[in-house]
Amino acid sequence: MYAAWTVKHKPRTLAEVVGNEEVIRTLTSWIDSWNKGIPKKRAAFLYGPPGIGKTVAVEALAHDLKMELVEKNASDYRTEEAVQRFAGLASQYATLFGGKRIILLDELDGITGTEDRGGVRAVIETIKTARCPLILIANNAYDPRFSTLRKYCLLIEFKKPTILQVMKHLKKVCASEEIMADERALRLIAERSGRDVRSAINDLQALAQGRRRLAYEDVAWLAERDRKEVIFQVLRSIFYARDCEEAKRAVDAADVDPDMLFQWVYENAPYQLTDPRDLTRAMEALARADVYRGRIRATQNWKLLRYMLDLMTAGVAISRQRTKPSGWVPFRFPERVQWLARTKQEREMQKMIGMKIRRRMHVSSVRAAKEILPYIRVIFEDNAEMAAGIAKWLDLDEDMISYIAGSESQVKAIVKNLGG
Amino acid sequence: MSFEMWAEKYRPKSLDGMVNQKEIVERLKSFVKARNIPHCIFAGPPGTGKTTGALCLAHDLYGEGYREHLMELNASDERGINVVRETVKTFARTRSIGEIPFKILILDEADNMTDDAQQALRRTMERFTETCRFILICNYSGKIIEPIQSRCAPFRFTYLSREDQYAYLQHVIQKENVKMLDEGLNAIFEVSGGDLRRAVNALQAAASAGKPIDAETVYSVVGRANPADVRNMIGLAMKGDFVGAREKLREMILKYGLAGSDIIRQIHIEIFRFNIPEQWKIRLADTIGEIDFRLVQGADEEVQLSALLARLTEASYEMKRGV
Repeated sequence: MYAAWTVKHKPRTLAEVVGNEEVIRTLTSWIDSWNKGIPKKRAAFLYGPPGIGKTVAVEALAHDLKMELVEKNASDYRTEEAVQRFAGLASQYATLFGGKRIILLDELDGITGTEDRGGVRAVIETIKTARCPLILIANNAYDPRFSTLRKYCLLIEFKKPTILQVMKHLKKVCASEEIMADERALRLIAERSGRDVRSAINDLQALAQGRRRLAYEDVAWLAERDRKEVIFQVLRSIFYARDCEEAKRAVDAADVDPDMLFQWVYENAPYQLTDPRDLTRAMEALARADVYRGRIRATQNWKLLRYMLDLMTAGVAISRQRTKPSGWVPFRFPERVQWLARTKQEREMQKMIGMKIRRRMHVSSVRAAKEILPYIRVIFEDNAEMAAGIAKWLDLDEDMISYIAGSESQVKAIVKNLGG
Repeated sequence: MSFEMWAEKYRPKSLDGMVNQKEIVERLKSFVKARNIPHCIFAGPPGTGKTTGALCLAHDLYGEGYREHLMELNASDERGINVVRETVKTFARTRSIGEIPFKILILDEADNMTDDAQQALRRTMERFTETCRFILICNYSGKIIEPIQSRCAPFRFTYLSREDQYAYLQHVIQKENVKMLDEGLNAIFEVSGGDLRRAVNALQAAASAGKPIDAETVYSVVGRANPADVRNMIGLAMKGDFVGAREKLREMILKYGLAGSDIIRQIHIEIFRFNIPEQWKIRLADTIGEIDFRLVQGADEEVQLSALLARLTEASYEMKRGV
């Protein structure tokens, strides 16, 4: 149910891979050259920033060429012995059943040792005797550790896809998840990811999963996320501080907006402090911080800010007394900020309908929206004919009808009744 | 079945048509007879006939063209006291043509006005008293400032008795050809709690499904109309699901537009209905009072009420441990 979209929507074939067409053609023709005998370079070294499809491209290539792919990552070639364990595979051209294979050494950045010793040397030895294509992947091929290794490899640089290419991929994911996404929203996600497709899809999932629509307002707050790492660092310092001093220092050092930080701490407190007694103390500290925030706003006396900060950092930190450590609990984005954006349109719509009801029913628009609209909604869901009558009587436009009735088929039924 | 809101369609047009508030109706009729009315305050809970009483009074006084002599304002809709004052001035200044020398201004939800706004309103009322009579409608007359109260005739509306509600609903049920079972009618009494507008809305929503109305239908309709349920939220908090309770709270405030003050009032009522040790009710009431005070001072509704929800979670945890 909660499959990561990066896995669920991973390209299976080369045609689906985003960007880097030229580079992939180079790679493909090198693989092809193996059919005419062992080429000069027995290994290809793919490099480039994370999340742009290096591994995915190799997997898709193996799929398209119907070759067996043997994937190894850093832990498999940390030491010389570890490399030798699969070196045997590389020395055979074909599999037992005559199929062809590719050996992929992923995450080469994680390899240990200098170029003379350990893993890197063993990899070089393996390449020298390889009888099937060997592909290496790393973020940075120009790491000094790889200087000798590079000589044995065909270097292929993967570049970041363009914003438009990232957006195109996001659109595809949205289509298959049946989400109507606003163009601008996808553009912002793509831009914010730094053209890292994987991180863009992760963001998309966090923002859009379980929803039918994604509007620009829903993602606008992402702009804040540039500072995600900074905020995470501060949150760690607050939730794991041993004393007041430690919690306070973290905030001084980080220079984050107090209001934004407040939202983060407020959102995460219940996940980090699971003992009800700890949580109550933390929420009360935050509520007190909020009282100071109100006083600052009312009096413009910014000297009070220090007390607000004390309570929302140290006050929360020392609340942890009974919560048992339960390993790493990931931090969450402040959902409330998203909620505010998402429900804004809805509240405006309710207000406008409230005004319509008010004209007819001698109540304030606020009360109409709160007390009468809910019953009208039930009628709109159950009885298209009566709904049409009420819509006419209240002079509702089609947007309002569609907001109240909810399901598309019911909206159609109501509109049909209106026409008659 | 007719296709408009029944609550409006069956609103009585004349004082004779009002089924309830007998004493009040008698007094209003005597005003009609005397062709004169004082400034009035109609106070009482929602759905008890305050607005209807005011409209009927105007109708009986002026006859069919009563709308020309009447203005309705709603304090929660009109932005700012200046708007109210200007509108009132323009309306109240000109003398009414006809047999009766004054107009009527109905100011609904008057208890939502600030003290300053009420002071300004008081001066306007005095200045134009010859040409305009005010009917202030509110839930609590206590929120109306003393100088205004002393200038008005007070009317206290109360919840409808079962018999009065029954008579009224029967009338609607017959006119609309609704198939209603006794248990359905009883359920409507129960959920409306004497609020006639809510009763009629629930009746119409239940009838819209087109089947004979039993208790089940009524409860289901009311449940669908009130997804933001304070009791449900408290239940989640007491079960230890603070995150779920906070999500509900967020929904109430942001999606359904409930005011923090309304939510806290309901929590306060519910606490005393809960099956928890007596001393805990008082401890919680104290917390609720503190949070309420902060809200009045303008603190953030969700943050403050979250602190209260956390306290409820803790309280139920401590109760289980027998503290």
